[in-house]
Amino acid sequence: MLKYLATRLALTIPTFLAVLTLVFFVVRVIPGDPATAALGDYASQEAVEALRERMGLNEPLYMQYFQFLGDLARGDLGKSMITGKEISGMVKQVLPYTLELTLSAIIVGALLGIPIGIHTARNSNTLVDYIGRITSLAGLSVPAFYLGILVMLLFAIKLKWFPAVGGGDLSDWKSNLSHLALPSLTLGLIMTASVTRLTRSAMLNVLNEDFIRTARAKGLSERVVVFRHALRAALVPIVSIIGIWAANLIADSVLTETVFARPGLGKMLVGAIMQRDYTALQSVMVIYTGFVVIINLLTDLVYSLVDPRITH
Amino acid sequence: MSSKSLGVVEPTFRLRSQKQRVIHTFLRNRTAILGLILTAIILLIAFFADNWFVALPQGKEPTPLLAHYNPLLQDTRNRLSPPDEDHLMGLDSYGRDIWSRIVYGARVSLLVGVSSVAIGGTLGLIMGLLAGYLGGLVENTLMRVVDILMAFPSLIMGLMVLAVLGSGLFNMILAIGIVLSPTFARVAHSATLSVKANEFVEAARAIGASRMRIMRVHLLPNILGEMVVLASIWIATAIRVEANLSFIGLGVSPPTPAWGSMIRDGTSHLFDAPWESLYPGLAILITVLAFNLLGDGLRDILDPRLQR
Amino acid sequence: MKRFVIIATLLATVLILGACAQPTPEVVEKEVIVTQIVKETVIVEGTPQVVEKKVEVTKIIKEVVTATPVPKEPVVLRYADKAADLGTMDPHFAAATNDRNLVDMIFNALVRYKPGDGTQFEPDLAEEIPEPVIVDGKQVWTFNLRRGVMCHPSEQVPAYELTADDVVFSLKKSANPDTSAYAGDYNGMTVEKVDDYTVKITMEQPISPVLFLPKVADYAGGFIICQKPYEAMGAEEFKTHPVGTGPFMFDSYSPQEKVVLKANDNYFRGRPLLDAVEYRFMPELNSRELGLRSGELDVINGAAEGQWVRRMNQEDGIRVDVYGVGEVATIHFNLTVPPLDDVRVRKAIAYALDRDEFLALFGEPVAANVYSAVPAQFLPGGLTKKEVDELGLEYPLDLDKAKALLAEAGYPDGFSLEVVSSERESYLKNYQSMQAQLAKVGIDIKINTVDHSSMHKLIRQDVNPIVIYVAWRPNADVYLTRFYHSDSIVVTGAKPDTNFSHYTGIDDLIEQARVELDPDKQIELWKQAQIKLLEDMVSYPLQYQNQVTARRDYVDYGHELKSVLALYPQITENTRIVK
Repeated sequence: MLKYLATRLALTIPTFLAVLTLVFFVVRVIPGDPATAALGDYASQEAVEALRERMGLNEPLYMQYFQFLGDLARGDLGKSMITGKEISGMVKQVLPYTLELTLSAIIVGALLGIPIGIHTARNSNTLVDYIGRITSLAGLSVPAFYLGILVMLLFAIKLKWFPAVGGGDLSDWKSNLSHLALPSLTLGLIMTASVTRLTRSAMLNVLNEDFIRTARAKGLSERVVVFRHALRAALVPIVSIIGIWAANLIADSVLTETVFARPGLGKMLVGAIMQRDYTALQSVMVIYTGFVVIINLLTDLVYSLVDPRITH
Repeated sequence: MSSKSLGVVEPTFRLRSQKQRVIHTFLRNRTAILGLILTAIILLIAFFADNWFVALPQGKEPTPLLAHYNPLLQDTRNRLSPPDEDHLMGLDSYGRDIWSRIVYGARVSLLVGVSSVAIGGTLGLIMGLLAGYLGGLVENTLMRVVDILMAFPSLIMGLMVLAVLGSGLFNMILAIGIVLSPTFARVAHSATLSVKANEFVEAARAIGASRMRIMRVHLLPNILGEMVVLASIWIATAIRVEANLSFIGLGVSPPTPAWGSMIRDGTSHLFDAPWESLYPGLAILITVLAFNLLGDGLRDILDPRLQR
Repeated sequence: MKRFVIIATLLATVLILGACAQPTPEVVEKEVIVTQIVKETVIVEGTPQVVEKKVEVTKIIKEVVTATPVPKEPVVLRYADKAADLGTMDPHFAAATNDRNLVDMIFNALVRYKPGDGTQFEPDLAEEIPEPVIVDGKQVWTFNLRRGVMCHPSEQVPAYELTADDVVFSLKKSANPDTSAYAGDYNGMTVEKVDDYTVKITMEQPISPVLFLPKVADYAGGFIICQKPYEAMGAEEFKTHPVGTGPFMFDSYSPQEKVVLKANDNYFRGRPLLDAVEYRFMPELNSRELGLRSGELDVINGAAEGQWVRRMNQEDGIRVDVYGVGEVATIHFNLTVPPLDDVRVRKAIAYALDRDEFLALFGEPVAANVYSAVPAQFLPGGLTKKEVDELGLEYPLDLDKAKALLAEAGYPDGFSLEVVSSERESYLKNYQSMQAQLAKVGIDIKINTVDHSSMHKLIRQDVNPIVIYVAWRPNADVYLTRFYHSDSIVVTGAKPDTNFSHYTGIDDLIEQARVELDPDKQIELWKQAQIKLLEDMVSYPLQYQNQVTARRDYVDYGHELKSVLALYPQITENTRIVK
């Protein structure tokens, strides 16, 4: 186990290097640069040139690359090429919003998705199953953007239960939670769809296994059979899809963040691409890759927890 | 009956019965049949869109069966008109007939949805299966590659493909496929780990079955169900991601219709002309429904446990 | 199943609890008389003196009454802009609309465009707009500064009175390409301090007021920053901690979320009626709209869409303002690329296009047609519809003529072109409309959509045979110089800029007009230049796209809205909330 952890941690270094190298070169290959983006179309050519020089964009590419890796090794994420603010500070301000949204969406998604999945599997090809499947498919087809607007119309405009827009004040839990409710509901419902589908499928697999028949034959109550035996065996793929959602939600909830006007890592990432803020993009990618590595490691560890037959 | 005759008869009997059972399982599943019919209709529309169903952009003007307006024709003075008898689904922000654009747009959207999921699914399945079964160095390498791929959100992956391979529909499909592959790889990996621990895999190894055979005969069928379900789930995502990538210049260019881009265009008139994004959204929903019902049917057939 | 029910109930409870977490206090309106101290400069026997005046202003204040008394709510205006995040608040770099909006509230200039009316100048930090005098062939402008103008306090430097030193420092900063994006506008200008309250600006080459005043007005390089805090914190820090003299001062910045500005108690025109401005970054139109409708926002940046304007105006308690200045969309033809090098082909395109087709995509009253490179609606020197019509240069829609011209040029079946377009609607609409219209005469245009930054880079690398460009420029000279002077030719010009057409035919007219001191003659020269542009069909002017903002009806900007260069309704010391 310890050896496994050590190997995994050692392997994070090449993972990081690969991601960062790719990002570093790709953003510099696509047209446009931060100097032009920062100065706008009215700026004179000489001002753009002067800014490029100050940003260090005229240095040879390999110099910029090693400079970046060197700074990173010292734990320095650098400054935004656009606002000149420390990126670590910006990330610190934005990250809590992302984490609370990801976490609450996963809770909603898992709490709704797994029970519905089990229920539809146990009643497969009945009316309940059809309804469950079709609503979850609707969830899959609705863009987060659309659902977000619908949720806002209902809960913010009509019922006036929650505020429509903004991230809320992090230091005031009431304001923070009320601003979190609608976005996490939106993302949670979308996640519910795929968790339901996968749970249903995994449960159907397991419910036909010999050991379930054996358990039933032993006269165990249906609840024990379903939750102790079947669910446990079906949980591995479910855990893996939740892990994938966790990783995706951190960077890919841009649309939800945008609709609800919340700050977030995903928005920061897209903003950095659009502004060609190379340093900000690289740093966000460092952080995001870190999350992916950690989430995947945790998921892999959970596998052997839920299914003791899996050993690392 | 002698044991010899049994030996001759049994295989043919089993074979026929298996085929029959497969067909029987499928036919008994009414929802799967519905899925099959729907899928067939959608594919038919997409495949023959420009010959049969829509009045086409340039020149060719056969009598269209479904849509009476050229999907590219702009009637700007009546833009954003609500649906009426003439324009079943209304007009978009350029005054183009939305129904025609949905029919014609089925081509790009289905192509993107199905082929990118096929690419991503196959790629992910191979990586996950190999990693899960072989373990050790192979597992470590492959799953770390998956980590790397997972670290790229679709927009960045799109930009990478654009920078390296340039624009074009196939490149976009490839980009979406790569973006989807880690999901398949991780689920395939976890499912393989689970199945690998079963006695029958042990048994197969004990009687000297080759690794290839164990993967193909014992592991693959057992995880294929989850893969098919995942694939049918992710088609909707793939169709929608198309919009985000055509907007950075990867994939189809305007005015070619595609459902994802239609929704995207419609979002800026969400309250003024909800039909502009609602109908392409419904088109995606129906498609996903069709593929999912079909996928569930396939899952039941593919699941060896259900045949026991 | 039971568990499922329990979990669902739990979830519902959490949601409802969250909803209850919002207090539902009672709201009581109160009229309060506030005494404001207004500093005014009065000329007593020829010497200016600062006099403090007490003015009583009635404010209607919303008070929130709950069980426990809550301190009085500050009056905050919540403005949502379509930007995703802040760029910079250094006014000499501010280029994005949101950045321009913010610096407009924080800084002043020697002179300013009248609030809400960008066609008129009035004194700002200067006591009056001076008349220039010619000394040794050079033009000298002497500005007397207002007394008692205070720089905002900052962490590093307490509030202090703005003097000629700050003005000289600031204008020199604007002229330096290392510290300003607009350095090019300040060539041939010298700025000197005469005494603490007098600044002398010398122009190598005399120019007319129409061209001089924008350089020292509240737009781009003309904004005056405070020297001491700038030097104390450094250029990088200043971008997010701006210090000026305006009605509002910087309070805080939360990335991707908002910038908060608070009232400058010592503002020289009097303390603002608002206590603070919350400037939110909300790129999504629908959420801005819902935020306004739910009452969480007071003013939002709207959609450039006639239908939207009409619908929102019908909403209860919401008013939409449509005003200038309008950014002008123009089709530029590259005269060096076949077949566009043939004037008949360009004229054919012009005859094949219908401005009203383009216009319909935006809808009244958001956009209006433009007939010359410089928009006559906003700037002196532009040509009106009537003028071009009389000259026979309107190029009205005439497909037969277009086809005949194409045939004459040797393209009876048309030709194909490939262009890149920004993903932004103001561009894509025009490109797609042009594509559909030109298809009728056999010209096949392939549009490759790219993101906005990429487009700007690519068109400056001359990839597009046809460029549609949407821009606002502060005067006719800048429009003509940047887009049509040979020095500005993309890639190959002496100072590569935005002359996408590679045109060289009006250099002399632009240069003559620039140094012409008689305003009427100057305008005449500009008009001649644009007539030449139309005769050669160098570019086809399309439309200007107005600004659209929606507000709750209790917001009173404090001025009439005609045109604003900063592209927002302008929030000043007189802006108030009347509830």
